[in-house]
Amino acid sequence: MTVKISGAEIVVEELKHEGVEVAFGIPGGALLDLYEVLYNEEAIKHILMRHEQCAAHAADGYARVSGRTGVCIATSGPGATNLVTGLTTANMDSSPIVALTGQVPTSAIGTNAFQEASTFTITMPITKHNFLVTRTEDLPRVIHNAFYIASTGRKGVVLIDLPKDVQAKRVDVDLHPKETFPGYKPNIIPNKVQTKRTAEALVNAERPVILAGGGVISSGASEELRALAEKLGAGVVTTLMGKGAIPETHPLCLGMAGMHGHIYANRALNECDVLLALGTRFSDRLTGWQLDQFAPDATIIHVDVDAAEINKNITVDIPIVGDVKLAISDILRWLDKERIRAGTVWLQRIKEMHSACEDCIRDVWRAGSSTSDILIKELSNILDGNAIVTTEVGQCQMFAAHYYMTREPRTFITSGGLGTMGFGFPAAIGAKVAAPDRKVVDIAGDGSFLMTCQDLATCVENDIPVVVCIFDNRYLGMVRQWQELFFDKRYSHTHLGITPDFVKLGEAFGCYAERVEKPEDLKSALNNAFESGKPAVLDMIVGKEDKVLPMIPPGGGITGMIGTERCRRV
Amino acid sequence: MQTRVISLLVEDNPGVLTRMSGMFTMRGINISSLTVSPCEKEGLSRMTVAIKGSESELEKVRKQLSNLIEVLKVVDLKESDSIIRDLCLMKVHTRNTDARTEVMQLADSYGARIVHASLDSVILELTDEPERIDRFVELMRHFGLKQLFRTGITAIGLE
Repeated sequence: MTVKISGAEIVVEELKHEGVEVAFGIPGGALLDLYEVLYNEEAIKHILMRHEQCAAHAADGYARVSGRTGVCIATSGPGATNLVTGLTTANMDSSPIVALTGQVPTSAIGTNAFQEASTFTITMPITKHNFLVTRTEDLPRVIHNAFYIASTGRKGVVLIDLPKDVQAKRVDVDLHPKETFPGYKPNIIPNKVQTKRTAEALVNAERPVILAGGGVISSGASEELRALAEKLGAGVVTTLMGKGAIPETHPLCLGMAGMHGHIYANRALNECDVLLALGTRFSDRLTGWQLDQFAPDATIIHVDVDAAEINKNITVDIPIVGDVKLAISDILRWLDKERIRAGTVWLQRIKEMHSACEDCIRDVWRAGSSTSDILIKELSNILDGNAIVTTEVGQCQMFAAHYYMTREPRTFITSGGLGTMGFGFPAAIGAKVAAPDRKVVDIAGDGSFLMTCQDLATCVENDIPVVVCIFDNRYLGMVRQWQELFFDKRYSHTHLGITPDFVKLGEAFGCYAERVEKPEDLKSALNNAFESGKPAVLDMIVGKEDKVLPMIPPGGGITGMIGTERCRRV
Repeated sequence: MQTRVISLLVEDNPGVLTRMSGMFTMRGINISSLTVSPCEKEGLSRMTVAIKGSESELEKVRKQLSNLIEVLKVVDLKESDSIIRDLCLMKVHTRNTDARTEVMQLADSYGARIVHASLDSVILELTDEPERIDRFVELMRHFGLKQLFRTGITAIGLE
C-alpha cells in the first residue's frame, strides 16, 4: 500500500503495527511533528514523564514485566543525553526497548545548533543498535528492524534518532516492510550434539546444580527449568537477574548466589559436580574474585543466546549457543530416554539447605534481626506471589534480593548490571502500567529515591498507584557499610543529613504517605497505602548502621562469606 | 605480542567504522593498521584490521564484532594461509649521483618502482608483504627518508 504521509505519521503507523500500546516520553522542539501526530492517536497511550531518565526506566520496567518491547521518547540534546543512563541500564540487563529521539534538522547536524547533541555517537556503545535516519523513505524499514532487533536474540536497546525535517517531510512509501538486515541472524536453535552431551553429563552427575540467570526469564523457560530440576533432583540457584525463574519457595531452590547471595546457594556452586548455567554471563558479583572456589570440581555447561558470552568470564566444558527455553526442551527430550542417577544424599542436602534459608526468612522476628531484616521479611510475607517488586540500588536492593522470596518470573525487577540508583521507582511506574491489576512496590533507599522522585507527579497525574517503601537510614547505606567494614568506619560523604521529610514530600505531590516508625506498623501502613488507591510513599525508619549480611568481602571467593554467624549449619 | 589480522565484511553505512573500532577501544586494544574499501558486492565494504594482542583477546573481540548488526562476516586471517599486502610510498634523499645509483639499484632488487624523481630526491612505490617493506624502509633510512606513507595492510584468504 503506497500512500503519501509525513515521517511522523510513518513513525506512529509503524509503532501501531508493531503492537505498541504505550510510550513514556517528554516532548520538545525537535519532536513537535511527532507529538502533533500523537495528539490525536488513541491506540497509543502516551505517559508524560518528568525526566527522560525516568522515561527510559519506565519503558524498561514495562518491558521486564510484560515481556514486550518498551518504548520511550525524548527530544534532541539534553532530552537524549538524559536518556543515556536509562538506556544503558536496560541494555546491560538485556531488556528490550526502542527509544525515539528528536534531532535537529539534517541541514543543521554538526553545527552545534540549539539543543543539538550527537545522539547517534553517544548512544552507540550503550545500545544493541542505533539509527540516525536521514531519509524519510527509510523510516518503515528502520522502525520494523528496530523492534525486530530489540526483541530477538539477546534482547536489548535500539535507538532511532529522528531529525526534525525527516519527521516533517511527506513521501510516498510502502508501509510495514518485512525485510531484515543480512548481518543480523540471532542464534536461536541449540546444537543437538551439544544438548545430547549435556544430557549425558547430567545423567552421570551425582551433585547436579542448575544456575538460572535472567535468560531463563526472558526466554520464558520457567516451566522447563522446573521440570528439568525435578527430573534431575538438581539444586537450583539463581543470579540476581534470575530471581523468580523458579519459585524461591520450591524445595530445590537455594535462592540467589553471589556476593550477597545465600550461603547455601554459594556452597552448592562450590560442591556441585555438574553445573548447568542457563542464560547468565557469570558476572563478578556472582562468581566472586577467587575463581578457584567457583565450581572447582564441576563440568560446566553454559547455555546462552549470545555467543560472545561463552568463555568470556568462565571457561566452560560444554558451550551451547541458543535460546534457553529451546535448549532445556532439547535436554529434557534426551533425558526422557535415560535413567537419572542423581544421588538421594545430594537431594537430601539440597532440601536441608533450602529449609535452612526458608526457615530463616519465615522467622521474621528472629532475635538479633535488624529493623531492615525484619521489614524486608515482613514485605515478603505480606505481599502476594504475583505482586511486583522493583528495587533501587544498594542495601535496599540486596536486602530484597536476599530475603524477598520471589515466586513468579517477572515479579522481581532490579538494575543488575549497571546498578542504577533511581531505577526502581520509575521502573515501578512502567510495571504498574504493564500490570495495572497487580500490586507494585518499589523497595527503595532514601538516597536512591531522591534521584528520581520528581516522577511522583507522573504517578498522581496518570493515576498510577505504586507504593514506594523507603528504607530510611539517612545514609548512602551500601557505601557506608563498606566504609564501616573495610575503611575503618570513616564515613566519608555518605551521611545524607535530615532532609527531606518523605511524608511531607509524598503529600506535596498528592500521594498517600505514612511514616513507619516500627516494623510492627508496616502491615497496617501497607494496607492503608493499597486501600487509598493512590500512589503512596511509606517512610520506613531503619537502623542507621544496619548491614546486609552475609557477604563476600572484596577480593574473596564464594566460600569466603563473612557475617554468616546467624546462619543455621547444615 | 603477535600481529593478528581480521577481515570484516560490513554494510557501507555512516558510523560502521566507529562502531567497529569502538569494540577495540572498549577493551583498550590498539589498532595497528586498518584499511577500508569497496568489495565485490555493491553496498558492502571490506575492512582489514591488524591488532597486536593475545589469542583469547582476539577471540572475544571477534565474537563481539560478529554481534554488530552491520557486520556480515568476520574472518580470522592466519599468515600461513592468506596473502597479506601493504603499499608504501616514500620520498628518499639522493644528494649525489652515487646515492641516486645506489637507491635505484636497491629499489630494483626489492621490486620498488620510481614514480617520481627530482634533482635531490626520488619517490618510490613498493607493494609487498609488510615485513619486506619494513626491511626496505630500514635500508632507505641510510640515505635519508624525507617522508613515508603506508596504506596499512589488506589481506585475502587462500581458501
